[in-house]
Amino acid sequence: MKTLADLKKIREKAQEEMKLRGGNTRIKIVVGMGTSGIAMGAREVMKTFLEEIANRNLTDVLVTQTGEKGLSSMEPVVDVIEEGKPKVTYGNMTPDKVKKVVVEHVVNGRTVSDYVVATGN
Amino acid sequence: MQDISLHLLDIIENSVRANARNIKVRVIRNVQKNRLRIIVDDDGVGMDSHTIEMAQNPFYTSKADREKKVGLGIPLFKQNAELSNGCFKMASEPGFGTVLTVDFELDHIDRMPLGNLKDTLLGAIIGHPEVDFYINLSTKDKGVEQSFHFDTAAIKEELGGIPLTYPDVIEYIDQSLFEGIQNTNMEDV
Repeated sequence: MKTLADLKKIREKAQEEMKLRGGNTRIKIVVGMGTSGIAMGAREVMKTFLEEIANRNLTDVLVTQTGEKGLSSMEPVVDVIEEGKPKVTYGNMTPDKVKKVVVEHVVNGRTVSDYVVATGN
Repeated sequence: MQDISLHLLDIIENSVRANARNIKVRVIRNVQKNRLRIIVDDDGVGMDSHTIEMAQNPFYTSKADREKKVGLGIPLFKQNAELSNGCFKMASEPGFGTVLTVDFELDHIDRMPLGNLKDTLLGAIIGHPEVDFYINLSTKDKGVEQSFHFDTAAIKEELGGIPLTYPDVIEYIDQSLFEGIQNTNMEDV
């Protein structure tokens, strides 16, 4: 059974790491979670991002959920936001595409142009 | 929507958009009463009686920027509850949040499955770090009640400034929800 004592250990470990590399978020991922996104599989897209972050131990990535943004025909939609770069929006996402975006874009910094549906703000 | 937890996710997103800071989610499976009940209770901006009524109309949306005036989330949830001999209730007051109670007949042939509650709650909790979630799952069967409570405020306090997307924290929340769902026999409802 998980207890709050486990969290204390996690906090200590994370604080040590942050001392070494600084506590900055390098990249932010926003998954569209409106009604049509959910119906098209956004929950699985979100889950795959979280799984990949945990499996690859990515400590400088933030994932959040948001409502719809008027791209219903391309759901599930995901924004990848990096400081100093234009926002990249990926559409028609699936768990497999998420894995590719994590490897290519999040880890190696190369946009997966095949999945991009919009850039900029 | 293929399962009840997808509807639940949709409703949680409504609460977040209504600026809720605290969202209570209860899933109660009562075998004697042959009932599966979902309650979502938030402290968002709330609705007046006119808006509550309109929200159940598929040709209404609160989103002013939407070109086509369509809002299917609540009407579809309501329809799916009623198809399984259940009912859908919304109570709200401007400034006092919203309580949504949805009942399904547990053994009704047309009841959709509960679905993947774990991934639904995991995504909502981590995807909305600004919101505190109080999760309560319970199963009542043959006079025995098994329940599971999960309170994200306590977790965030223990974590200090460590984000919920920190890999070990994702695993912690995932595993806690997994155990809670197993202990209350909610994994295959």
